Amino acid sequence: MSEPLIQARGLEKAFEKGRIVALRGMDLEVAEREFVAIVGPSGCGKSTLLHLIAALDKPDNGRIRVGEHELESGRHLSRYRARHIGMVFQLHNLLPSLTALENVQVPMFELGLGRRERKERARRLLALVGLGDREGSRPPELSGGERQRVGIARALANDPPILLADEPTGSLDSESGSRILDLLETLRRERGLTVILVTHDAEVAARADRIVRMLDGRLLGEEWAPRPEPVGAGAGAQQSAG
Amino acid sequence: MTFSGLILRNLFRQRTRTALTMLGIAIGITTVVALGAVTAGLRASSSAFVKAGGADFLVAQRGASDLSFSTLDEQVADQIAARPDVERATRVFLEVADTPGNPFFFLLGYDPGELMQEPLRMLAGERLSADRPDALMLGSEAAAAFGAGVGDEVRLEGRTFHVVGIYAADDDWRDAGAIAPLRTVQEIARKPDVVTAVHVVAARPRDPDRVAAAIEAELPEVATIAGPEEYGKVDQGFEILDAANLAISLLAVGIGAIGVMNTMIMSVFERTREIGVLRAVGWSGPRVVRMVVAESLFLCVLAALIGIGLGVLASRLVLVVPAVSSFLTPAYEPAVFLRAVAVGVVVALVGALYPSIRAARLSPMEALRYE
Repeated sequence: MSEPLIQARGLEKAFEKGRIVALRGMDLEVAEREFVAIVGPSGCGKSTLLHLIAALDKPDNGRIRVGEHELESGRHLSRYRARHIGMVFQLHNLLPSLTALENVQVPMFELGLGRRERKERARRLLALVGLGDREGSRPPELSGGERQRVGIARALANDPPILLADEPTGSLDSESGSRILDLLETLRRERGLTVILVTHDAEVAARADRIVRMLDGRLLGEEWAPRPEPVGAGAGAQQSAG
Repeated sequence: MTFSGLILRNLFRQRTRTALTMLGIAIGITTVVALGAVTAGLRASSSAFVKAGGADFLVAQRGASDLSFSTLDEQVADQIAARPDVERATRVFLEVADTPGNPFFFLLGYDPGELMQEPLRMLAGERLSADRPDALMLGSEAAAAFGAGVGDEVRLEGRTFHVVGIYAADDDWRDAGAIAPLRTVQEIARKPDVVTAVHVVAARPRDPDRVAAAIEAELPEVATIAGPEEYGKVDQGFEILDAANLAISLLAVGIGAIGVMNTMIMSVFERTREIGVLRAVGWSGPRVVRMVVAESLFLCVLAALIGIGLGVLASRLVLVVPAVSSFLTPAYEPAVFLRAVAVGVVVALVGALYPSIRAARLSPMEALRYE
């Protein structure tokens, strides 16, 4: 078996001088091109885990390696985020003064692309998420689902291998949410992305290859989605204790 | 979208605040420019007087607080005139007369004989003559101000003068002033046997620097001035103006920087979450610093340009006062504008220092959690 793309060992993280403990020795491995859903109740540490993988925060203890990047070292994290991670937030976090097209271009400044190339690339990405006709709209002029799609286009701006989505459907109605998940699946399939999605919605999680369950900052268990089996073989969910 | 386009978009999200900050800086820079232009203008008109009549340099009393207070014994003037390396020495007595509408009217006393040697362009009438103590020559600007012509009578310092000629001079002082016989002006000032200064033309082969140095060596009580940079030897007014200019520039930098810092801190605070997003999508700390500094620079340089425009306007408005326009034409030297832009840039950099560092040091997660 090949080396996992993401390896986290014994991750610990606490906030407010230790009063709030988010992670208590969390382990996780994610293979390249895998679609993993992390589920668990509020406060179980799933978003914190995602933020550590995104290098938005550093663990208090433990090791986390993504590809060749040792994230706990704290070095070159901006470069890592710019080139390896696409982040989709629950509340889209678009810049309100910029148009959809401009929002998608924001991460590209770090790549040193020319103005025309940035614009062309952003146009292609907006078309990819089905918003080719809304490029001049500002976030307040877009629906929740459209904003989230702009957020996904922005996450893909620098063509990262990993897409991290923190409750991407959390603020959307079920129809918009379903379309966003379809889009993530399509992108993952067509672009070969590794996707890690945090959710507390079982239906959303069911779209993933694997569901990682967390409780109180620890791995509770993992479930693999059924795979198409040869004729005559049964198809059922596998489960392992965490 | 370009990086600078993003900067502009950020700046003009809070238009009123940006405009008020710019106005504050622009007012400071207006003062810097207006005072700079006036000082440069004064320096230019003073140095034009130094070179009046084609003189190589002017000799005056060393250490005088103002050129008009300089007194040289006529014997000293005679000594200078008698030197073999001096071709021409023209004594001048400078009296500041109070006239209706102009309390700083320059009445210049010249020896009629020496004046005949001066290359003065006569527009009408004739020059002074030794036998007419009440004769007066008016500069073209003064003639216009008085509405007087050749043959008219003009009252100055309680005396009635008869206008015998109208001349045009390259320097403001003489063009907006009048020339009367030296003895008459000395009488008016009650200072017989002294003059204010001596205009000197060096003899051939002309080496004015050497002649000036020789005069200063021989006569320690005098100073020679060949240009504006030496004017401080006989007039401390410019040093005071320069000091005032520097003080105002520093004040403009101080007040401006505090204003800009306040604006940029507020801007960074308000955009904490946005800065978190920028960091989350991969922006480096130095890029965030560049964004904040560029916003500050744009704001201040634009304010500097507005301030330069207002400063030029203000310095022109000063000329509406006749008393000022008689001896001053503001000079817009590049150094004045460079100083204004430099003030703007320093204000921008000082004002953006703390806010930009704060923005760059924000933890992306803390910034994203900020409400």
